[in-house]
Amino acid sequence: MTALDELRTRATDSASIVHELTSWQDVASLALEVAEGARIAIAPSLASAEPGLVAALRGHLLEPSSEAPFYSIADVAVGIVRGVLAVAETGSVLIAQHEPADRAVSMLSKTAIQVVDRSRVVDSLDEVAAWLAANAEEVSLATLVTGPSRTADIERSLTIGVQGPADLHLVVLG
Amino acid sequence: MIRKRDRSKAQIQFDERYRGALANDPLSDGLLDFQRSWSNIRDAQLVDLEGILGRDTDELRHNLAEMKDRVIADLHLHLARFRESAEAAGAIVVEVATAAEANSYIARLCHQRDVRTVVKGKSMVTEEIDLNEHLAGEGIQAIETDLGEWLLQLDDDRPSHVVMPAIHLRRHEVAAVLQRELGRYFDPDDIPAMVYSARTELREKFLTAGIGITGANALIASTGSVLLVTNEGNGELSASLPPVHVVVAGIEKLVPTVADAIDQVRLLARSATGQPISTYTSFFTGPASSSDMPREMHIVLVDNGRRAMAADSAFASALRCIKCGACANVCPAYQVVGGHAFGHVYTGPIGLVNTAFHHGIEFSEGPQSLCLSCGACETVCPVEIPLPAQILQIRRRAVTELGVPRSQRIALRLFASPRFVDIASRFLAYAMIPFRRGNFISPPFIKFAPARIRRFTAWRTPPVIHTRPARSRAELRALDPPISQTRATGRRVTLFLQCISDRLAPEVAVATADLLRAAGCEVVVPDKQHCCGLPAIDGGDDDNARRMARHTLEVLGTTTDDLGDIVTPAPSCAIAMLHDYERLFEGDPIWTARARALQGRVYDLTEYLSGPARLPNGSLARGDGSPVAIDRFCQGANTLGRGDTIDQLVRGLTGTQIVPLAEAEVCCGFGGSTSLAAPELSQGILERKLANVRASGARVLLTDNPGCLLHLRGGADATRLPVQVQHVAEYLAARLPDRSRSPRGSGSL
Repeated sequence: MTALDELRTRATDSASIVHELTSWQDVASLALEVAEGARIAIAPSLASAEPGLVAALRGHLLEPSSEAPFYSIADVAVGIVRGVLAVAETGSVLIAQHEPADRAVSMLSKTAIQVVDRSRVVDSLDEVAAWLAANAEEVSLATLVTGPSRTADIERSLTIGVQGPADLHLVVLG
Repeated sequence: MIRKRDRSKAQIQFDERYRGALANDPLSDGLLDFQRSWSNIRDAQLVDLEGILGRDTDELRHNLAEMKDRVIADLHLHLARFRESAEAAGAIVVEVATAAEANSYIARLCHQRDVRTVVKGKSMVTEEIDLNEHLAGEGIQAIETDLGEWLLQLDDDRPSHVVMPAIHLRRHEVAAVLQRELGRYFDPDDIPAMVYSARTELREKFLTAGIGITGANALIASTGSVLLVTNEGNGELSASLPPVHVVVAGIEKLVPTVADAIDQVRLLARSATGQPISTYTSFFTGPASSSDMPREMHIVLVDNGRRAMAADSAFASALRCIKCGACANVCPAYQVVGGHAFGHVYTGPIGLVNTAFHHGIEFSEGPQSLCLSCGACETVCPVEIPLPAQILQIRRRAVTELGVPRSQRIALRLFASPRFVDIASRFLAYAMIPFRRGNFISPPFIKFAPARIRRFTAWRTPPVIHTRPARSRAELRALDPPISQTRATGRRVTLFLQCISDRLAPEVAVATADLLRAAGCEVVVPDKQHCCGLPAIDGGDDDNARRMARHTLEVLGTTTDDLGDIVTPAPSCAIAMLHDYERLFEGDPIWTARARALQGRVYDLTEYLSGPARLPNGSLARGDGSPVAIDRFCQGANTLGRGDTIDQLVRGLTGTQIVPLAEAEVCCGFGGSTSLAAPELSQGILERKLANVRASGARVLLTDNPGCLLHLRGGADATRLPVQVQHVAEYLAARLPDRSRSPRGSGSL
């Protein structure tokens, strides 16, 4: 099994929806489809790196207010973030944020879309450890996200969607 | 004096918690479902991990334990490294010695930042130091954001499990709490709606709180990062939305590198919830400041008894704990009474150990009676903490520091005297004759007994004491010819009768001797033998334990130069001799040497018959061949790592079909002193066992430990379960040629 196959299996097991897309245009289409007319937020660091994505979603975007960035993003329908690694071993995506506002898009949206370059699909958590060890100085927030938010705190009944996103799309790009 | 008052206060608190738990039937039903499904899921996850890494799970557990040990051995160095890296990343690192110092630092910080509301991720250490209560006293509201913790906070309740804090609440209780607190109707069967209420209620709190407080799953020394895992995402929001993030963590959370933290991650969720990984596995390295948003990160490192643990060779390894809760998830007592009865704050087996260090030994004394020493916890611990040994050590400390509880003091001292036990048991045996029904004390007698006696007898018919103990029986020393050549042929075997077999089940001792002779052994039965000392060892009473151990060593070891192998029909006693005697005589070279000399000679019967005295397959294939179920003595499985040895022995020698018995290795609830100290608990565990026996469909149940034998037999009788419970020795001996005519020893006065 290739790393990508393993990633797909493991991510699906943890209730992520896996897509293989070729362009940011496709990502924009996916976002529009799942947003069903509601607002979309792009993590600021991604927005500045991919102006094409911003352009493709113009008119649908929620602009974070600089006064109260978290308030304005809270409960946005769709949030798009970039992942630095996708991990076949667990079906996880490593999200590394430099800005708290990135974190808000990733954690406060109802549906999150995580985009990872095909070249950044790795086999195991060992690569995550190596990446974190090398980048800890620059990255104050790094989270391995594995599927949508969940709880089993009431009678051990698994319920998807508590504080974090209730739906998670994992896009392998390229 | 203060100690004494605390002790009785703690005992009263424990008694209340214990009684409360017993009154809650849905609790134990829910926990039984939970333990069963957890075991299946966790085992499957570990197999999966072995496939992923191509390495054995035991090796991974061992490596993780070694890594934690390196840190604990040099806390100072790792703390210094962590401090350096975290400070370089912009965090403020504070070390505090006590709970009070931790609380006042955090309260002061709240006042300085003019913060009145803080949000909190789930954190055991903040429960340990009672942070919420302290903050409330300072006018600061701390809001729990983990769903379970939030529900408990609304209900003014406490966690009963380290990972699933509200596992004791049923859905209708949750609905009632939410309805009362939020003022609208909740359908108990609509769990998603109840879950979603936490999102809507807490969202505003996350956005407005001035400080977010979380715990830590690991503190990474090389990078200064704080590892935090959650499934809900509440910890991540608590840590990253408010402008100030306060991490409260025990110093034992240190790990050297990110790779070490990842090794921990691989075992943590699998051991905790049976997931391959938690949904959010986060690394926080310094405050997440940006140009327009200055932020702070404070890391409060709590000692509160941890350095004392680290310096204590018997308990340092308990600091390896990664708070997964696996030990509670296999603990038969936890299933019956739940976490509240166990815990002051920390519940389950680990709570029986670390409560003494964090809160004082008087708070861990009462719950000690909940541990049956079955050893299950140690088999699932991802960091190999020797919990059963540490629990016994805590009991010894309690005895040293607080004294043996008065109720046990006289009993243990009298029981240590062979002469007293002999006279008293013979007297009682005759006194019981009018009330005797076969091997039991007759139910009418029990029925009219006062409630404080029925507490022990209503659910388990007590056995009679035989007027002629095994040691006085001629058939014990009969001269039957061997039936086959074995490796033990011609060996001299000293039979250690064991106190229960001797007086309460002499047929077991006789059957044991028969089997040994059939295998060609010359059986020697020393007259002066008494109890091995296990009851005193279990009670933490080393003085009386040593008294009985010395007596046993004298009887078994020094009568002649070599008494050959020693065999007992009681694996519990063999384990005491093999695992506890040497420790009892620490610092005493002469008795240590004797205890060591014994170790190479002691076998329990199953082991001896499966090894040196193994008769040929099929040599006992006679008599009733109906299928049997086999209870696997818990300590044999957990402490000796014995799998299906008895199954193989019985199947091999007799050809009998063995039907699967669910949870065969789970304790039956006898647990020595537990069935006296906490009979309701013992009953609850026995019910689980008997339900499994009933479901197996077998009409014969075999066990190889005499205590369990009488416990199971009495339970089957009291509940009219149509199952004959036999010691494996009786079952096999009844199938010896020419001996199958009568079940020797049993029934005769």
